[in-house]
Amino acid sequence: MLKSLLIVDDSPVARMIMKKCLPAEHGLLIYEAGNGQEGVEQYQTHRPDLTFMDLTMPVMNGFEALDSIRSINPDAVVIVSTADIQEKVIQRVKDLGALYTMKKPPSKKSLAEALERGEEALSRVQQ
Amino acid sequence: MNSAEHIFSTEEKDILQEVMNIAFGQATAELAEVIDIFVILSVPNIKVVKGRDLPNYFINEMDGSNVVNLIEQNFLGKFSGQALLIFPSGAEKELIKLFNQENAEQSYNVDMDTLEQETLVEVGNILIGACIGKITELLSDFVTYDPPRLMIQDLSQSTPAQFPVDEDSFAISIRTVFRFEQQNVEGYLFLITKQRSIQWLKKALQTFLESFM
Amino acid sequence: MIFAQIFDTINNGLLVIDRDMKVNYWNRWMAMHSGIAADEIVGSSLFSHFPELDQPHFRRNCKSVLQFGNFCYFSQRLHKYLFPMPAPGSLADSFSHMQQSCSMGPLRNANNEVEMLYISVQDVTEVVSYQKKLVAMSNTDQLTGAYNRNYMESHLIREIERSRRYNHGLSLLMIDVDLFKVINDSYGHPCGDYALKTICQRITATIRKSDSLIRYGGDEFCIIMPETTKKDAYKVAHTIRKSICDHPFTFADMTFNTTISIGVANLDQDTDDVESMLKKADEALYTAKQSGRNTVT
Repeated sequence: MLKSLLIVDDSPVARMIMKKCLPAEHGLLIYEAGNGQEGVEQYQTHRPDLTFMDLTMPVMNGFEALDSIRSINPDAVVIVSTADIQEKVIQRVKDLGALYTMKKPPSKKSLAEALERGEEALSRVQQ
Repeated sequence: MNSAEHIFSTEEKDILQEVMNIAFGQATAELAEVIDIFVILSVPNIKVVKGRDLPNYFINEMDGSNVVNLIEQNFLGKFSGQALLIFPSGAEKELIKLFNQENAEQSYNVDMDTLEQETLVEVGNILIGACIGKITELLSDFVTYDPPRLMIQDLSQSTPAQFPVDEDSFAISIRTVFRFEQQNVEGYLFLITKQRSIQWLKKALQTFLESFM
Repeated sequence: MIFAQIFDTINNGLLVIDRDMKVNYWNRWMAMHSGIAADEIVGSSLFSHFPELDQPHFRRNCKSVLQFGNFCYFSQRLHKYLFPMPAPGSLADSFSHMQQSCSMGPLRNANNEVEMLYISVQDVTEVVSYQKKLVAMSNTDQLTGAYNRNYMESHLIREIERSRRYNHGLSLLMIDVDLFKVINDSYGHPCGDYALKTICQRITATIRKSDSLIRYGGDEFCIIMPETTKKDAYKVAHTIRKSICDHPFTFADMTFNTTISIGVANLDQDTDDVESMLKKADEALYTAKQSGRNTVT
């Protein structure tokens, strides 16, 4: 059961859009971070069920943050959100432990799918 | 430059930045997957500049470069302006490898100079088309283009290009650094938009944001 | 109605292809100049009739237009032409095919998505012909038809670069007509001109198409010979020398003999740019003169 969400993206607009695309009455507790470092700190503090990770961020980029979070918790469920969805990138984040890569900009549909897949991954972990 | 800061509200600036980030990201992916051109485009730097300040702004951004290859291409839509692609001198010799043109000189029956220059223009045309194409797709616009022109400029001698912007009007400069890793070629792409696009752009940005509501 | 008429009456080739490279429209100009009627090609792949177009650069540009909605250009300068068509009658001698400047652009459907692309073909043979003539005029010596000094240096630079790039030899011959002043003084200037013209003709008959004969000065010539070793350059030089001294010249009712001296220089480690090559050839020529003329050094 997904209860909390962490959105890591340096663009406030991107974070806003993602929140807007969540289904109405999602009832999720939402945390946000504006760069990779903050993202890792937020993860450490709150241990959200699902994390959305942007890749191009200052201070610490998404690849590094993803790696850190997966080190903190090898079962962390992280979905990468990026506009640059070429094969190279998809493979790289997969190797770093991302659940999958979601294309930017998101939509209500892609968010619904993300929550579903996140839910699934979480329950597998909790078994 | 005070008034330039107020052309866009903070929210509009943020939306513009995100739209450009998405556009350049998508362009990078599609250039790789569809055209087999592997180029990294940096997160774009966006600035509003007054027409008369453009030449100086440009010189400052290009700090350090002297002789360059400059490709200039006008685009026309609701989003209108000029694209400027700057390649360092000598890049044409490296980029020719991009298309595996080892024996192309013979097969094309032209001299190496022509082949190098035309390859530069072809790559530049596609790069510009990819970036502008993605921006306008996100904002529900489409543009037509003039043929690109290649010029060799000595930036230490003269201000580059004739910016199609009146002295008193504003332009938005969207600047990205592009990098062809395999060929070790790095350069700049500037999109200079005209003032009359600014009004439309503000509306288009709002529409973009609202499409997610 | 109007656009359909424009499509078929415009003095430009226009065709429309879809994402699978199938021809959807083929205008009258294309039919006329290609000899392929619309009903023959519409519905089939462009490559089935024009297999030479199935090249990376063509496909790449098509992909770009279909993906990004931009325009792509095929300049005559690089491509010469896209569709092989006969050159217009008067220019058929100078060009194997019609020279073309082509462009392609997106065609969108009702949802504004790029569905197909058009290709526009423009006949620029005449323009190219004029360009070539102008360039030739500025590069040619009026009297002898050889290249002039204007052309020389840029051509030598290019050949040196090509030589380095492909690791081929490059030779430079510096030629001087011996005692040319005497010919002019004894037989008059028209005779002197005739001598120069004939010398050039004899040299041209001896050298290859890839070699360039240049009138460097009043009675000085040089020959740039790409992909030529020192040994072969000397052979050619001797053949040229003999073709001048072994056969007399006849002008009006006068018959006379003349000779030339030749200096040979080769591109190598020590002589690797325009300046040094010219210097070496010049010095060799001087030595030839000093050794009694009608010599190759």
